[in-house]
Amino acid sequence: MCGMCGLLGGGRHWSNTVAPGADANARRQRLVQVAHANRVLAPFRLRLDDFHGQSFVLSSPTGASEMAGDLMQVWQAAEKMLGRPLDPLTLFADEAGAHDTVQQAH
Amino acid sequence: MSLAYDVIPVTIVTGFLGSGKSTLLADVLHGAAARDTAVLVNEFGEVGLDHLLLGAIDAQTVLLDNGCVCCAIRSDLKEALASLFSRRARGELPPFSRVVLETTGLATPAPIIATLLADPLVAHHYVLNATVTVVDAVQAGYQRVRHPEWLAQVTAADRIVISKADLADAATLEPLRAQLQQLNPAAQIVLRSAADDATCLFAAAQAAPDLGAIASRAGNAARRFEAEQARMQSHPQADPQARVAHAAPLAVPAPVDANHLANIESFCIEFDQPIEWPVFTLWFTLLLNRHGDNILRVKGLLAIAGTPQPVVVHAVHHLVHPVLHLDDWPDANRTARLVFITCGVARAAVAASWQRFCRHLQPAESVH
Repeated sequence: MCGMCGLLGGGRHWSNTVAPGADANARRQRLVQVAHANRVLAPFRLRLDDFHGQSFVLSSPTGASEMAGDLMQVWQAAEKMLGRPLDPLTLFADEAGAHDTVQQAH
Repeated sequence: MSLAYDVIPVTIVTGFLGSGKSTLLADVLHGAAARDTAVLVNEFGEVGLDHLLLGAIDAQTVLLDNGCVCCAIRSDLKEALASLFSRRARGELPPFSRVVLETTGLATPAPIIATLLADPLVAHHYVLNATVTVVDAVQAGYQRVRHPEWLAQVTAADRIVISKADLADAATLEPLRAQLQQLNPAAQIVLRSAADDATCLFAAAQAAPDLGAIASRAGNAARRFEAEQARMQSHPQADPQARVAHAAPLAVPAPVDANHLANIESFCIEFDQPIEWPVFTLWFTLLLNRHGDNILRVKGLLAIAGTPQPVVVHAVHHLVHPVLHLDDWPDANRTARLVFITCGVARAAVAASWQRFCRHLQPAESVH
């Protein structure tokens, strides 16, 4: 791909929002997002890279790669590469119990 | 030369066929309060605007006596909005300051909201102000059971206007209001009245949602609805729909998709610690990607680690509105909360999923 590819990505996507005054700038936050995403994708042998702060490149161990404009597109591309759904309601379900960070209320 | 860059608020008016959208528009679009408004409709004939007409600008556009413009959507919405903006910029149309978009009765609002939020051309010039859904008090029972569009319109609403309330009695209105509140606790529900003015359309959806009230409404409405259902099952003859004879409602058919309606639930998830925004964005995009079809609505206020400013999150199906940073918390309750309206996605599963993500992605010491 050429250097222009991905420049018209999902820079405006809601997930790129950085709070004014927050101690993370947009680029740093994006790199943290990519690092976290790779922890989700690693068990599936997929890898995500940032592309110009505007897009992502998702790669598989067989050499397939796909550009995604935002995180929603990343997960869609990952499901396509894997041939099965990535369901957050069951991901990591086999791990030990979690802390009580969330309380349920009606 | 002015360098002002206008971002025009759009109010979506939706509602099932015959619910009274056009009547509402025709009633509130006169007078000074509604001036500077551009109205996008599918057909002029559907809206009784003749008495308000000042003249025609072209075959698709008419001018109303208070300065409003009314345009018919020729092909698709994106083109209509783009054309409206460029004609305004060229001075061919009056410099309207807001847009009202009347959908067809069979439209589901999500694709329209998607156009407003995600289209690269439209999203820079327009912002979604509020979604107003008109619900026919008399036919709601029938439409609820027979038409999935009705449910999509109700759950996407920021404001629900119950029309034809004068044709229904209290025994019909109260269960309807309870059910609407159960289906969409995030919406403000009002009865249509002759005194309605433009504010019922143009009032913005709350920037800082009163989540305490929403969560409370969700619980109260669910309890009232269940009590009402139990009462009707034990006394079938007390079915309020069957008693509105003068309004001649269609007979309520057997609820073929009663399970679908029964699966809709509202719940609130509370976060007792500030969340890591990158972790939340991953989890939430994953959740909406896989379950967006069944997550009808999410609305909430979050505390983000590293900043004292709370964030308003608002989603309809797969779409998330641009997040809004508030200067401060709207009230003394600083508990971060997300209210979900889902169909078949259980509260326990969502909460447990978030817990697992936090544990997996955040350093252990920050998950407390």
